[in-house]
Amino acid sequence: MTKFNRIIVSTIALTFAAASAHAQAIMVDTTTKPGVIAIVGGKLLTVSHGTIENGVLIMENGKITAIGTAAAVKVPKGATIVDAKGMTVYPGLFDAETNLGLTEVAADQVNNDLVEPSEEILPHMHVYDAFHAETEHIPIDRFNGITTAIVAPRGTDIIPGQDTLIQLAGRDRDQMILTRDISLSMNFGEAPKRGGQGGGAGGPGARYPSTRMGEITQLRQALIDAQEYMKARAASANKPADAEASADSGRGRGGPSAKFDLRNEALIPYLKGERPVIVGVEEGHDVEAIMDLVTEFHLKVVLSGVTHSQGVLDKIASYHVPVIVGPIYDLPEAGERYDAVYSLPAELAKRGVKVALASYSNEFIRNLPYAAGYAVAYGLPYDEALKTITLNPAEMFGIADKYGSLDAGKVANVVIANGDPLDVRTDVKQVYIDGIAIPMVTRQTRLRDEYMPKK
Amino acid sequence: MASPHFSLRHILALSACLLPLTAAAQTIPDLVIKDGTVMTASHGTIPHGAVWVHNGKIAAVGTIDEVSKAAPTSATIVSAAGKYVTPGIIDPHSHSALGNDVNEATSPVTPSMMMIDAFDNTDRALYFALAGGVTTELLLHGSANMIGGQNVSIKNRFGRTREEMLFAGAPRTIKFASGENPKRVYGSRNQLPSTRMGNFEVMRQSFEDAKVYMAGWDAYNAKVAKGDKEAVAPHRDLKLEALADVLRGKLLVEIHCYRADEFLTEEAIAKQYGYKIRAFHHALEMYKVGPEIAADGTGIATFADWWGFKDEAWDAIPWNAVMSMREGVKVSLKSDSNDFVRRLNQEAGKMVHYGGATEDEAIKMITLNAAWIMGVDDKVGSLDNGKDGDLVIWNTDPLSSYARAEKVYIDGDLYFDSSLPGYGLTHFTGVMHGGGFGGADDEDTAEDYDGGAL
Repeated sequence: MTKFNRIIVSTIALTFAAASAHAQAIMVDTTTKPGVIAIVGGKLLTVSHGTIENGVLIMENGKITAIGTAAAVKVPKGATIVDAKGMTVYPGLFDAETNLGLTEVAADQVNNDLVEPSEEILPHMHVYDAFHAETEHIPIDRFNGITTAIVAPRGTDIIPGQDTLIQLAGRDRDQMILTRDISLSMNFGEAPKRGGQGGGAGGPGARYPSTRMGEITQLRQALIDAQEYMKARAASANKPADAEASADSGRGRGGPSAKFDLRNEALIPYLKGERPVIVGVEEGHDVEAIMDLVTEFHLKVVLSGVTHSQGVLDKIASYHVPVIVGPIYDLPEAGERYDAVYSLPAELAKRGVKVALASYSNEFIRNLPYAAGYAVAYGLPYDEALKTITLNPAEMFGIADKYGSLDAGKVANVVIANGDPLDVRTDVKQVYIDGIAIPMVTRQTRLRDEYMPKK
Repeated sequence: MASPHFSLRHILALSACLLPLTAAAQTIPDLVIKDGTVMTASHGTIPHGAVWVHNGKIAAVGTIDEVSKAAPTSATIVSAAGKYVTPGIIDPHSHSALGNDVNEATSPVTPSMMMIDAFDNTDRALYFALAGGVTTELLLHGSANMIGGQNVSIKNRFGRTREEMLFAGAPRTIKFASGENPKRVYGSRNQLPSTRMGNFEVMRQSFEDAKVYMAGWDAYNAKVAKGDKEAVAPHRDLKLEALADVLRGKLLVEIHCYRADEFLTEEAIAKQYGYKIRAFHHALEMYKVGPEIAADGTGIATFADWWGFKDEAWDAIPWNAVMSMREGVKVSLKSDSNDFVRRLNQEAGKMVHYGGATEDEAIKMITLNAAWIMGVDDKVGSLDNGKDGDLVIWNTDPLSSYARAEKVYIDGDLYFDSSLPGYGLTHFTGVMHGGGFGGADDEDTAEDYDGGAL
């Protein structure tokens, strides 16, 4: 035990309890007032304004209140002082697409809520209805410094639903959820096809849409329906109540319906461009096809995936939309060089595209920083790589005023590690979420400690 | 010569293996890699070190001075200044290059399946692995069956012929499985085994049958040895012949196994029938019974940090490898994946993080120890005189996130060079295949035993 660890343990003054059922995850009550904490002597990677050696970071009741050099920032009286000499301090990491809380043990289908497969256009599916806050994955992921994540449905529907923004700490679901519907999930290409057995357009069990034409047509019709619905609702809002009651039922298929409809209602904020639509697509020609459609409806787009779009990188840059890239470990396709996918973050960033990385998983979320490191190995500048898992995704989802960097006024999601956050050899020593020192205890550390050979 | 132990197919395979050695040894000029940080895997790290490869074999390892004195001046000199040099990376658990033929999932006991029969040397998964510094792989039968097939050991001479990619002189190995996969595959068809009791019953019965078969052949061979001209040879049964070879210790036994209780059962069965278990693969709960298994001399080929993808991986912890190593178990890391095989060096780097392995210990897990799992540690896996000239030059410390394999040599011959245009390959001129089974037999659902992708 280092001196550092002892100090940390003494700062843990919070309630945590074992939850019941499958998971016994440590639940951290984020309504606890942690008081004033000063992290001193560490190397601060601010992400927004460079590196501060021998820095001081002050957290007060969940917010960062000051950050700077030891000379510039005064430690308030009564603050709990955390000695971070020799340590690296950086903002909590942000995974821009996960299935966190939608599955526990992947092979156990009965517990999986990854996607509703019964229809293709389901904007009124909300992953917060399935999000399992007590999952054992949350303590294990935050153990490696992940503090914030987008929970998204699996990409096998054209519109599988809306995404939820969470922080990886809370006594219950409601403390963990930061924004219930932060973005709309949309997919195009091979994955959402209803091709039946054997894939392709035919095969037993095939139904509409089993081709890309089918997908685009179905999506265009759904967006037109929602536009008409939106107009009809706006019009009926100005009419007497009896007019609404006598309006056509249904989802506005061509008709000026004004009856409240969950599906069409769910699309309105996106048709108005109020929230981002995350468009999952892999192939270059698919990027072009779907961008034509989303531009037609003036959607606010974030591209996601683009793993096999090497041929259209300039075109992607010309859209001026941000891109969540990956997983960069996707295997290259026929004809592609071994590093074709690894180098995508660098190639896009070089073209001025704002890039984020994501684990696109549940099992490998804790390895998110290593993907950023690998992007550096294949050409992405280090500072930009750190942004891909902090500030850039925060900007894409419109929450950079609160998350993504070490700046006064932002939420105190802070990580202390014994080295470079992107390196596989680095050990995270302490994670703060909402300014609270999270117990560095997981189901896995408990098993480790139980079986650790006695000296 | 009435031995039933060796089938014609084995003889063909072995004779084919002899070809590349002679071809390689004649044509490869001397090679000296110098001024790199040389991680030997067997005797520490040499700063500003050098390696000399002569006739495809390592002829000297040491400081620049030591190696320069030994090597001929005509040798090709490659500077590794500022770079790192390691032995070629070894993956002791892969299903690459086997197309959709990983599991003969039509019977829980299929020991006469020869994975060499499915080996596609043009699978691009091998190229991606080579570009990640992987020079040797054990291509295994899947885990659908309690007793699967006989694996094929390859050297990743990508671009050479199918025969030239086989690992000459590698011992025969066989894949066993246990736990969830066999019981799911056969249980879903309402067949034996559908429980762990059924799993182990199938194994015991198989070895009972093999004992009887072996005794019949032993008696026959004894008669022949005594000059009995009337002796009648028993029926040759390929399945029982393979199991008898397990009992005779002619095959290294590689067992897919996750849970602590099942390691103990497997060891008990092995002792009962008189064979040794070379390694447990996956072995995610080894940290619970390390001392017991270390005493049996069985190693492990495990994941660095995979967990939770199935019930028998629920107690997996990323400290498993280092904790087991500290208990005396020989530990290697493996990919079981066409993805992870490309960065086993990073997986080894995680061992520094999870448990505080030294860099030497971490490198050994993906080189020398992996070679031992395959039974080829006398030929590859470390930078020592007499071993194959399988080397990787990395741009930086291979255990970091930032490492790329720049040059990969096998038998002193350059097979991959990232600075070359195109694929970076020196021997490849054909068409790559791929898109078949992606490995990771353990993450798959039952359908994937038919060969579907993940």
